[in-house]
Amino acid sequence: MATDKTSFQLVVNGILNENPIFRLVLSMCPAVGISTTVMNGFMLGIAVLFVQVFSSCTIALFKNFIHPRIRIPTYTLTIATWVTVIDMVLAAYLPEAYAKMGIFVKLIVAFAIITMRLEMFASKESVNASFWDGIGMGLGFMFGMMALGFVRELLGLGTILGYDVLGFKPLLFFVLPFAGFFCVGLMMAFFNYIEIVYKRAKRA
Amino acid sequence: MKNILTIIFRLTVACLLAGLVMGAAFILTDKAKKHNLHVNEQKVMFSLLGYSAKKPAPETVVLHEVYRYIVSEGESLSMGYLLPLQDGSFSFVTIDLAGAFVAQNPVSIPAEKITEEGERSQAIAASIGTGKTIRYADQTIVVTNAGKRTAYLLPGKFPGFKTFITTILALDRDFSILGLEIMEHEEDPGLGGEIVQDYFKNQFKGKPLETIKKLEVMKTPLPEEYLMVLEASRRERLDAEEVARIQEQYKDSDIYALTGATISSTSVTNGVKAMVKKFAYRLEILDRVLAEQHIAVPF
Repeated sequence: MATDKTSFQLVVNGILNENPIFRLVLSMCPAVGISTTVMNGFMLGIAVLFVQVFSSCTIALFKNFIHPRIRIPTYTLTIATWVTVIDMVLAAYLPEAYAKMGIFVKLIVAFAIITMRLEMFASKESVNASFWDGIGMGLGFMFGMMALGFVRELLGLGTILGYDVLGFKPLLFFVLPFAGFFCVGLMMAFFNYIEIVYKRAKRA
Repeated sequence: MKNILTIIFRLTVACLLAGLVMGAAFILTDKAKKHNLHVNEQKVMFSLLGYSAKKPAPETVVLHEVYRYIVSEGESLSMGYLLPLQDGSFSFVTIDLAGAFVAQNPVSIPAEKITEEGERSQAIAASIGTGKTIRYADQTIVVTNAGKRTAYLLPGKFPGFKTFITTILALDRDFSILGLEIMEHEEDPGLGGEIVQDYFKNQFKGKPLETIKKLEVMKTPLPEEYLMVLEASRRERLDAEEVARIQEQYKDSDIYALTGATISSTSVTNGVKAMVKKFAYRLEILDRVLAEQHIAVPF
């Protein structure tokens, strides 16, 4: 059952139609916990992008070897391996980035979005398609995290990327974890609304 | 039965592959990681001494590493110091707990191997003879500028709220604190984690030995003017005279606790207090022994 989508469509699919945060509603714990600023969202997004691409390619490459009854442990093992390798490489060669990102990289082992993508896509598709799907999902996650981070940082701290743009803190509770849920809900409604308007305009 | 065997076989192969990948990554990156940690430590040490990339340390500034060991022979314990000598070799000086000189043994180890814990312990064990066991205690760095002692750097570790807090403490010749840097900790983010912030760790700066000996934590709000001086970004707005006046005013005050993190604040305060007190006591003994025995050290 190979996908008939082109690589471009796969990437767009990950960012829009099947956005991990606003459409699939997966990996909500980190999304709500970490997306307090744009920078945090970007850091976690980059880390997820790499792990997703590497894991998807690995699973797609070995899909015929993985016994269907033990696929979940194998996925977890794959993700944990890549997370560890990326953690080591970052610590060794990019110490400055690691000081900021280290804590996020270790979180990824338990991300639902990556396991789910391996199960739904990489275990059935070719390496090439899985690579582009991984890129799409990673970018989609990054986009979602940064969009959330933008709204929460602006409303909670009055800053963007650490720069003071408002000069005051409108609603401090937006940076607290529970406000993440409000934020996800409101933005989901917003994106759904845009989609409805877009479809209506297309039909007319 | 066949299924069980296939599952076991495939999962084992998957684990072996994962192990191979991770092992290879470890071998390839471990050296660079250790190097980074070392470079970072050096950078922190120089910044504590007041040097930075803009204002590099002059050539005359030298760091001399002294390693302290606990030597046990049967029931009796003594302190051992691995010291660099003026001629570039190393010597292991043993002092008993009462402060009397016990022995001096030359240690043959190449200078570039001295930072490696395993090699160092082996070389010392070989030099002091059988029947004695040594245990690594801590490390002190004596800083000299043109042959004169200017400061001491004490890397150390003490228990925090959850687990150990690793720090580097800089003292001047009279054991006043030049600066404190938190290297590693696992305190709660936003609460105990605030120990890394300037407004907490800079409170230790400038405190003299007499004050440190009876340093406590107090749970009163940090005065606004003191806060201005503690935070580097806000300090620039004040003129130098004002900064000096406020620093002098709070020089002998206790440490203002972090809100919601009394235990972390107390741990750091007590840890620093113990480090400074013990170091001042031990250094006095070591200096006296070195003078009595005419051991020529470069510091």
